Amino acid sequence: MRSRSSPVPCRRPRLALLGLALAAAVAGPPAARAAEPRTKVSLGATLPLTGAEARIGGFFKEGYELAVEEANKQGGLLVGGKRLPVELTILDDTTTQATAVSLADRLVNSDGVDFLLGTYASHLVEAQSTIGEQNRVPYVNGGGGASKIYKRGFKYLFGTISPVELLGTTLMAWIDVQQKAGKLPRPARIALLWENTAHGKDFRKGVSDFSAASGGAYQIAVDESFPLDGKDFSALLGKVKAANVDLFLADAHLPDYITMHRQYVSAGLCHKVVSYGARGSEKGAIEALGQENVNYVVSGVWWSAELGKKPGLAKAFVESFAARYGGRKPEWFQALGYESARALFTAIEQAGSLDREAVRSKLAALKMPSLLPGGTLEYPASGGQQAQNPFVLLQNLPDKTSPIIYPPADATGVAVGANPRCAK
Amino acid sequence: MARFLDLALSAVMLAGLYATMAYGLGLIYGVLRVVNLAHGGVIMGGAYLGWVLFERWGLDPYLALPIVIAASFGLGVLMYRLLVRHLPRGPAGGPASLLLLFGTWLVLRNVAYLLFTGNDQAIRTSYSTSSFVLLGTHVPVNRLAVLAIAVVIPLALHLLLTRTYTGRAIRAVAQNADSCTLVGVDVERIYALTFGIGTALAGVAGLLSATIFSFNPGFGSGELLKSFVVVVLGGLGSVLGTGLAALILAVVEVFAILVLPSYLTSAVGFVMLVLVLVLRPGGLFGQRVLG
Repeated sequence: MRSRSSPVPCRRPRLALLGLALAAAVAGPPAARAAEPRTKVSLGATLPLTGAEARIGGFFKEGYELAVEEANKQGGLLVGGKRLPVELTILDDTTTQATAVSLADRLVNSDGVDFLLGTYASHLVEAQSTIGEQNRVPYVNGGGGASKIYKRGFKYLFGTISPVELLGTTLMAWIDVQQKAGKLPRPARIALLWENTAHGKDFRKGVSDFSAASGGAYQIAVDESFPLDGKDFSALLGKVKAANVDLFLADAHLPDYITMHRQYVSAGLCHKVVSYGARGSEKGAIEALGQENVNYVVSGVWWSAELGKKPGLAKAFVESFAARYGGRKPEWFQALGYESARALFTAIEQAGSLDREAVRSKLAALKMPSLLPGGTLEYPASGGQQAQNPFVLLQNLPDKTSPIIYPPADATGVAVGANPRCAK
Repeated sequence: MARFLDLALSAVMLAGLYATMAYGLGLIYGVLRVVNLAHGGVIMGGAYLGWVLFERWGLDPYLALPIVIAASFGLGVLMYRLLVRHLPRGPAGGPASLLLLFGTWLVLRNVAYLLFTGNDQAIRTSYSTSSFVLLGTHVPVNRLAVLAIAVVIPLALHLLLTRTYTGRAIRAVAQNADSCTLVGVDVERIYALTFGIGTALAGVAGLLSATIFSFNPGFGSGELLKSFVVVVLGGLGSVLGTGLAALILAVVEVFAILVLPSYLTSAVGFVMLVLVLVLRPGGLFGQRVLG
C-alpha cells in the first residue's frame, strides 16, 4: 500500500514494479516501512466486543481509547523529532480464537498497522499472539495472564498482566502475616479449588509452592479442579466440608464464583479465610450474592481504583477516566488496557521511529513509571516478557467498601484477619 | 453416613434440574422427530424473562412461572408456524432441521447480547441462599423447589398425554401422523401444540436455572448437552424414562467424586452416553411413544 507512494525513477515501469515487489518480499515489511515518510502511528487491536467476554472487552476498549486520546491531545507521539497522531483500529473478535487470529492477520497484512495491542482472555491472546510473532510485529497485551503463553520463547509478545501464580503467592503471603499474628491456626488446613484452565493451574502453583516452602505451616487437605462454567458444585463442596479445613481458597471466573458461593452459603459452610482468587469485589457479584454473604471475602487483583487514593499515576488515571466516562471508576481491566497502550507509546518514543524491530528492542528493555502496583512496569526476559508486578488484595467489608489490605505500602484499609462470621 | 446423605441429596436435587431441562427436548423429538437445537436458546430466554420480571417488577421467579410458560409456549408455536413446519418430513428433514434450529439458537443468543449485553446476571431473592437442616445436612430451599417442580412436570405431562383428547392425539400423531390425518386429527395443530409445550418446558427450565446459577446470553449450551444426554439415556420419546435417566445421571456424576477428580465427574455422563448408544441404542428404558 505504502510502496505506491515511493518516488522510484525508472524507464520500464513494469520491470521496476516487479523489482519492487521482489525487494519487498525479500526485505519484508519493516524495511519497506523505514523508507517512507510517516504521517501517523497506526495501531490495531481486536477485542471481544460480543460473545462471552463482551463486557470485559468493552472495558479494555475504554482503556485503549483513553490512552490514545491522551496521546493525541499532546499532538501525538514524538517520533524522530516529529509528533505523529495515533490512529487505533479496533475490531470485534467475538470471543472466538479463530476470529481473533484472522482479524489480527488482516490488521497486519491488509490494513498495514504498525503495531498490535492485544485482546482479552488468555485463550484468545495465546492464539492471536502467533500473528505478531510470525509477522515480527510487537504485540502488547494486558488480557492474557496465563504464564504458559509467555513460555513459548516469543520475541514480539509483551504481557502487562502479571502471572496468576503471583496472585496465589500474594494471597498466601497475606495469610502468612495473619498466621504469624496469631489470627489463624498453625498449621492451617487449606481447601484449594481451581478451575481447570491455565489460569487455575497458575493459581494452584502459587498456593502450592508457598505451602510446600512453609515448613509445615500449611497443609493442603483438598486439592481439586473443576470445569469452567460448572453448574453443580455441591459434591465438591461436600468434600470440602468433610475435610474440615480452615482456609477456603478457590480460583474462579465470575459466573462460577456466583454459582459456587451461592452453594457454599446454602451448604452452611464458613471458613476463616475465603477467597475466589481475582473474584470477590465485583458490584454485580455482590448484588447477586448479597452483601452479607460476601463480607470478608478476600480477592487479589492486578490493579484497583483504590490505588488512586494516593497521589501518583494511578490517581491521574482514575481522574482522567472518570472525566471521560461519566464519573465511573475504572477496574483493573481498563487500567491494564491503558497501561499496555502507554507502554507501547513509551517504547515508540524511545525508539524514535516506527521500525518494529527498534520498538521491540525498546519494549524488551523498558522500565517505566507505572500506575500498576509496584510503581514500575517492565517486561523481564526471565518471565518470558511478562510483567511481574505484585497483586493488591482487597477485602469486602460490611460497610460495603473493598479496601486494599495488602501489600502494606498500598493499603487503604485494615484487614480482618479471620472471618468473624465463623464460630469455628 | 453424613457424607453419603449429603451426596444423595445433592444427586436428587441435581436430577430435578436435569429432568426439567430435558423434558421439552424429549417431547419434541418424540412427536416431531426433530432435535430442537434451539432448546438451549429458549432456556437462556426463560432465564432472562424471569430476570426481567424480577428486576423490573419485583415478581418472584416462582410466581413468574405462568408468564414464562405462556411466553415460551407462544414462542414455540411461532417457531413452528414460521420455521419448523416448512421442513421436509422424514429423514430428509433431519440435517435441515438441525441447521435451521441451530441458526435460530444463534439468533436468540445474539438478540440477548443486543438487549442485555454480555454481563453475567443472577436472580437473587430473599431465599436464594436459604437452607434448612435435615438429618444434619443443609438442604437449599431453592433446589428443593426445583426438585418439586421437576416431579410435578412429568405427572402433569403424563396426565395430559393419557387423560385428555389433545394428549391422546399427540400420542397418536407420534405413532403415525398419516393415519391421524385419515381419522380427522389436525396434525399440523398437534405439531404446533407439541412444539409449544416442549418450548414452554425449556422456558421453565431456564427460569428455574436462573434462580440457582448466574447466566449470560451464552447460557444454555451446557444445558442443551446435558438434556441431550438425559433424553438419549432415557430412551427417545419416553417421558418417564427421561426422569429416571436424569436421576441415574445425577447419581453417577455426584458419587463419582468419591473415586474421580472433580473435573472428570461431568465427563462420566458422556461416557455413559457412549456406552448406552453402543450397548443399548434405544436407551436404558427403550424407545417409547410417549408414556
